[in-house]
Amino acid sequence: MTNPPGPPPAPPQAAAPGPHAAATDPSRPPLLRPEAGRRLGGVCVGVATHVGIPVRTVRLAMVLAGLSGIGIVLYVFWWITVPVGDPHVAAEESRPAELQRLARRLHGERRTFPVRDVLAGAILLAAAGVLVGERLGWHLEAGWALPVLVLLAGLALAWSQLDAAQRGRMLSQAGGRTPGSVLRLGGGLLLVLVGALLLVGRTSSTADMARAWVAAVVVLAGAALVLAPWWLRLARALGDERAARAREAERADIAAHLHDSVLQTLALIRASADDADQVARLARAQERELREWLYTDRAVSGTSLAADVRELVGQVEDAHAVPVEVVVVGDCAPDDGTSALLRAAREALLNAVRHGAPPVSLYLEVRGDAVEVFVRDRGDGFDLDDVPHDRFGVRESILGRVQRRGGSAVVESRPGWGTEVHLEMPRAASREREAPPAEPARPSDPSTPSTPSEETPA
Amino acid sequence: MTTTDKPTTHEPVDVLIVDDHLMFRAGVRASLDDRVRVVGESADVDSAVDAAHALRPAVVLLDVHLPGGLGGGGAEVARRCADLAPGTRFLALSVSDAAEDVVAVIRAGARGYVTKAITGPELSGAVQRVAAGDAVFSPRLAGFVLDAFGTGLGDVAIADDELDRLSAREQEVMRLIARGYTYREVASKLFISVKTVETHVSAVLRKLQLSSRHELTRWAAARRIL
Repeated sequence: MTNPPGPPPAPPQAAAPGPHAAATDPSRPPLLRPEAGRRLGGVCVGVATHVGIPVRTVRLAMVLAGLSGIGIVLYVFWWITVPVGDPHVAAEESRPAELQRLARRLHGERRTFPVRDVLAGAILLAAAGVLVGERLGWHLEAGWALPVLVLLAGLALAWSQLDAAQRGRMLSQAGGRTPGSVLRLGGGLLLVLVGALLLVGRTSSTADMARAWVAAVVVLAGAALVLAPWWLRLARALGDERAARAREAERADIAAHLHDSVLQTLALIRASADDADQVARLARAQERELREWLYTDRAVSGTSLAADVRELVGQVEDAHAVPVEVVVVGDCAPDDGTSALLRAAREALLNAVRHGAPPVSLYLEVRGDAVEVFVRDRGDGFDLDDVPHDRFGVRESILGRVQRRGGSAVVESRPGWGTEVHLEMPRAASREREAPPAEPARPSDPSTPSTPSEETPA
Repeated sequence: MTTTDKPTTHEPVDVLIVDDHLMFRAGVRASLDDRVRVVGESADVDSAVDAAHALRPAVVLLDVHLPGGLGGGGAEVARRCADLAPGTRFLALSVSDAAEDVVAVIRAGARGYVTKAITGPELSGAVQRVAAGDAVFSPRLAGFVLDAFGTGLGDVAIADDELDRLSAREQEVMRLIARGYTYREVASKLFISVKTVETHVSAVLRKLQLSSRHELTRWAAARRIL
């Protein structure tokens, strides 16, 4: 197979059509810290996924920024404030439920970094370092180091509940009023209080008014810091719950739809149990519908050539009870050219199921510059020259339709091998560039109804 | 599928069937011919891993969606049985049309993918082919591969050892398989031997498993939200 001359094809994503960019453009995943692929807290992976740049770049930037200290602050800030979750799953869940596949997706293997062990190791190392330093005569001012440590420990204890709550989801109650979180909160508060008092009142026991005032402010600030995650979590949990309830309702609708259609079909099958053809046809149609609901994310109607092709094949399968293997590579929004191509493909497919023999296969490939369709069957084949000239089928409804639109059509047929119809249609964008004066620029708006004059009186 | 045209002079191939539906396992068992001997059945991830280690079958017929384990389905089974290679090989057999699921199992080490609509003789042939170390590509898998690696002129590998793009020949072979050609028909169309076609297909399988192509990992995610 040769590729037609023309401008180099754009990559599949870039070739996605303009008018429905909102529907076809992959939207940016939300900023979440995924559990898969994380090194420490998942911050870099999350940021990389969100922005759409390689993780390695983000990590490098973070390490470089970490040398100056800003990176560390930024990392810790994100670690604390960005919730845990799979950004792709979250992005997908933001789609309307009736467009989503229902079957559960496979999980990737989760590799978690042993944060706790590393933290403990780091603390022990630091302690050892301090001890060695003491031996070497390097004096640490324990007077303020201890209170600061106590204060930091209190903050860490209080803030840790935010992360734990997001990760485990073991606390199903909203609001965090569980013994564990209360203990964390209380312990954190106590530690911060003690730390602050130690810090402020360490120089002299006869604390004057100003010092006491400072202490009070510090304690209040500490308390606010400690309470902040609790409020954050409360707000988030409420929002989550509301969203979950809405999704539940949507899912129930879909389940109702599926069960209705499946039950209907089963009833029909039972009623026509004697008619093997009819049973096979019903089962096949139902299988196709279920498959579509379970395993594919459905596109908004009118925006996907791939979906249109599948629907077309479904109609032909239903009408003739012959299974057709469909393979689609790439996708684009339908336009006038592709709808002519599809009508021709439909004729070719009808010929294949009527006159050819199974297995019948249809292959559609969307490239940057052209759309190609191959329809193949294993019949006895035929000679195009033997087809009488007054027979409209192949010559007019397949070849003519495509050629009038600037496409090409080739029929290859050999006895004992079968027939293959190859249709090719340049994409709207490249057509306009090649021959602008002949045809007015066609807006590639899929909602435009196809022109009636295109229908040949076949 | 092109898997029925191998001579059957060898010993029958030992097969473990892994699927969570009893009816389906029974159906597969009944449809396989004497080129294949079923040595066991499993219904979930953990029992499948255990059975594969205990029975050491030549081929494991692996459903993509399986309960148990860490939720990784067939991909998890293949990954946890990686130590059995090359004595035990995996063939994914699935009703799922979702490219990401199928590609996940292939990347975990499966040597091919066939749909559950396959006939008994074809499946037996596919098992034999996998046991012999070849790759089994259905038209649908070929379509997934083309989707993943891209079909444009700029998506063609220039160097032989490039993992992230298909060579022009490999792209051609994949396209023909996606069009419904058997390996034999591909060979005669391109004026090469069936053995060469198998070599190309195996090379594509290797690329699919090893490629670190940025899009390949992101591709599944991007397609989800198309």
